[in-house]
Amino acid sequence: MNQLPGVTAAIPRFRLRRGPRPPSARMSPLARREARYGFLFISPWIVGFLAFTLFPMVATLAFTFLNITLAQEEPLRFVGLDNWTRMAGDQHVWDSLGVTLRFAALWLPISIIVPFTVAVGLNSKYVRGASLMRTLFFVPYVVPFVAGVLVWEQMLGDTGWVNAFLKLVGVDSPPSWLFDAGWIYPALILMGIWGIGAGIVINLAGLRGIPTELYEAARIDGAGAWATLRNVTIPMMSPILFYTLILGVVDVLQYFLVPLVLKNGTGDPAGATLFYNLNLYKTFFTYQQMSYGATLAWFLFGITLVVTLILFALSRRWVYYAGER
Amino acid sequence: MESRLAHLRTRRLPALLVSLAFVAAACGPSATASPAGGQPTGGQSAEPSGPPATFALPSFSPAAMRWYCCLGTGEDPTQQPTEKSVADAVATVFPGSSLKFEVVTYDSARDTLATQIRGGNTPDIVGPVGIGGFAAFQGQWLDLAPYIAKSHYDLSQFNQAAVDFYKSPTEGEIGIPFDVYPSMVWYKKDFFSEAGLQEPPHTYNTQYKMPDGSMADWNYDTLKAIALKLTVDRNGKAADEAGFDKAHIVQYGFEPQRDDLRGLGAYWGAGNLAGPDGKTVVIPDAWKTAWKFFYDGMWGPQPFIMTGQVYASQEFNGGGYAFFSGKVAMSENFLWTTYGVADAGTDWDLAAIPSYNGKVTSPLNADSFGILKGTKNPDAAFAALTYLTGDASDQLLQAYGGMPARPDKQDAFFETLGKSDGFPTKVDWQVVKDSVQYADNPNFEAPMPKYNETLDILSKYMSKWTTTGGLDMDAEINALQAEIQATWNS
Repeated sequence: MNQLPGVTAAIPRFRLRRGPRPPSARMSPLARREARYGFLFISPWIVGFLAFTLFPMVATLAFTFLNITLAQEEPLRFVGLDNWTRMAGDQHVWDSLGVTLRFAALWLPISIIVPFTVAVGLNSKYVRGASLMRTLFFVPYVVPFVAGVLVWEQMLGDTGWVNAFLKLVGVDSPPSWLFDAGWIYPALILMGIWGIGAGIVINLAGLRGIPTELYEAARIDGAGAWATLRNVTIPMMSPILFYTLILGVVDVLQYFLVPLVLKNGTGDPAGATLFYNLNLYKTFFTYQQMSYGATLAWFLFGITLVVTLILFALSRRWVYYAGER
Repeated sequence: MESRLAHLRTRRLPALLVSLAFVAAACGPSATASPAGGQPTGGQSAEPSGPPATFALPSFSPAAMRWYCCLGTGEDPTQQPTEKSVADAVATVFPGSSLKFEVVTYDSARDTLATQIRGGNTPDIVGPVGIGGFAAFQGQWLDLAPYIAKSHYDLSQFNQAAVDFYKSPTEGEIGIPFDVYPSMVWYKKDFFSEAGLQEPPHTYNTQYKMPDGSMADWNYDTLKAIALKLTVDRNGKAADEAGFDKAHIVQYGFEPQRDDLRGLGAYWGAGNLAGPDGKTVVIPDAWKTAWKFFYDGMWGPQPFIMTGQVYASQEFNGGGYAFFSGKVAMSENFLWTTYGVADAGTDWDLAAIPSYNGKVTSPLNADSFGILKGTKNPDAAFAALTYLTGDASDQLLQAYGGMPARPDKQDAFFETLGKSDGFPTKVDWQVVKDSVQYADNPNFEAPMPKYNETLDILSKYMSKWTTTGGLDMDAEINALQAEIQATWNS
């Protein structure tokens, strides 16, 4: 078969530039057999991923162009971009996204700074009982989630322990943490801080991995505590901080369980806890609009993806990987 | 706290028709009173347990069925043994068949049922379910009319209006009348005597004797005047006295039914959010007035209704029905209040609902059982449904505290109810029967566009109003109307 001039030439050049042949071509019989076994052993996960993750994801993308509802009073049909157009004009969607973003603006910095700060403290040689404190900080993380929220609900109630303490120290009118739209976010943040044990452990692991020579060199150079933190600890911890930032962004955009348990999904007070994901959940299961709910889900996925990609792009400017540069 | 509410919220349903039906029912002898329960023979067919003799269930294949609870009442631990017992009895009544009782708490019952239906795991029977529950799953209910016709089920034992109440223009006959819950004023007699006040009237359209000896119509102005005197701070001063400390109220004068803004408004006048065209939001004027009264009672200079924050405090029952705390003098609520009213003490009684603009309105809840379209056993499910609403109804109604839809059973019901543990020795149950005559028509829970979305919007505004002082209520109501309209238009 004749081939176009240039194409025939381009292909070998491309291949040459790409370098070595495919690994399979270089694999020994033993390696190929091991690879087969590898695929065999991993196949349950692959099947599970395809059946329970990838296929449902693709299906929900298809749903966004259909008119599926629980009642399905109309015949199933292709509706094009109707669901997407509706979403663009749905004030509840933007309100709930606003709730999520407002909370994210408050919570994200705290969720990164507080575990890091506590970990730095626990890592200090001057702190006594660090092991005990590390354990105590981590304990809330293993408390069943719902139980923790319900306990906090009682503590933050108008007559709960927190307000009782505030009254004891002279605050006549302590805040109505759970029933005032202006105080509900601080309440949610308090609950969040209580559960940062895992973040502390991750940060501690990162701190323990910083070579002590760097600190010694800094000390010899006359660096004080702040300069050491700024020029040694933070750069060396930047991969960990970036990791917690990415997870934090994903988590906060999907923030759902606490308001669901705390306020039974009502969005109280006055819609202040109607987070995007909660609105999404209600669209599916309370309003029973499956296609529209799928549209909201894909929109959230898109937002999360874009934000994550931006963070990855920006990470080149501040995340230091010792093995790269 | 929420759990407590959960059951209760349930049952709101009602309807105007029902009201008329029950009014008539309450006032006179009913038509034929035949048990609806069916008794299959050989697991294939059933004969009536009483007259009329023509009732006979067509033969059906025995089936293992599921009874989904609790879109309404039914989740309370004290109710469940009765429900389980009734469900278990189905296997005896219909040999070869079985009915499994499944409890999902009210708070998550709607979402869970939606998930089950969408997932193809549809239960057979759902109930007790009120008008709101039926409306929330519009399009999902089986039309019972063919099964009623085939079995010659005697609907004449109910008032026709009660039967019509469960007729849906789009879905047919979706329920059989079961129970009804009128509204009344529940009040603490001891608070009135301590304050030297006359107790509120038990008879409708009568007057109230004010402390100065004058007679006043029993309306919301009068109620407010009394409620102020019954709202007391920690120093013992009433809300209408100088020096009243509104930051430290220990006893409230009045508590409205605050589960739903529609219901709260319906005590002032019957209505529905859907205008005549079914697409335009029209908030009844009476509801607007009621909401402003409610807001002023919480946040005005002389509060006599608790704010959302106080309502949620453990001191006032932690978000459950505040009257049960024993620290509320008067409360408007449905008959199902009986489930927890014993907590309020043993010195309470029932009074008439006040009038607004000279007219009394007593919002009504009513429950029934429905069969979902997706059931794989419609014939067996209908047989089981006739048992639940028939032979088993006496047991269930006592557990639910619901007034029987069958008029001939109401006196016996109240006689038993009056003997409940912790109840006063004498309660004026006649008020309940009289209240039926003033049932709201149209019922506040009647279907409307985007039902569940609209409920959430109403809930959001309720939350805002109960937790935020200093609002411009006219602007708030306009914003509420606009938001609902936008949702209906989408």
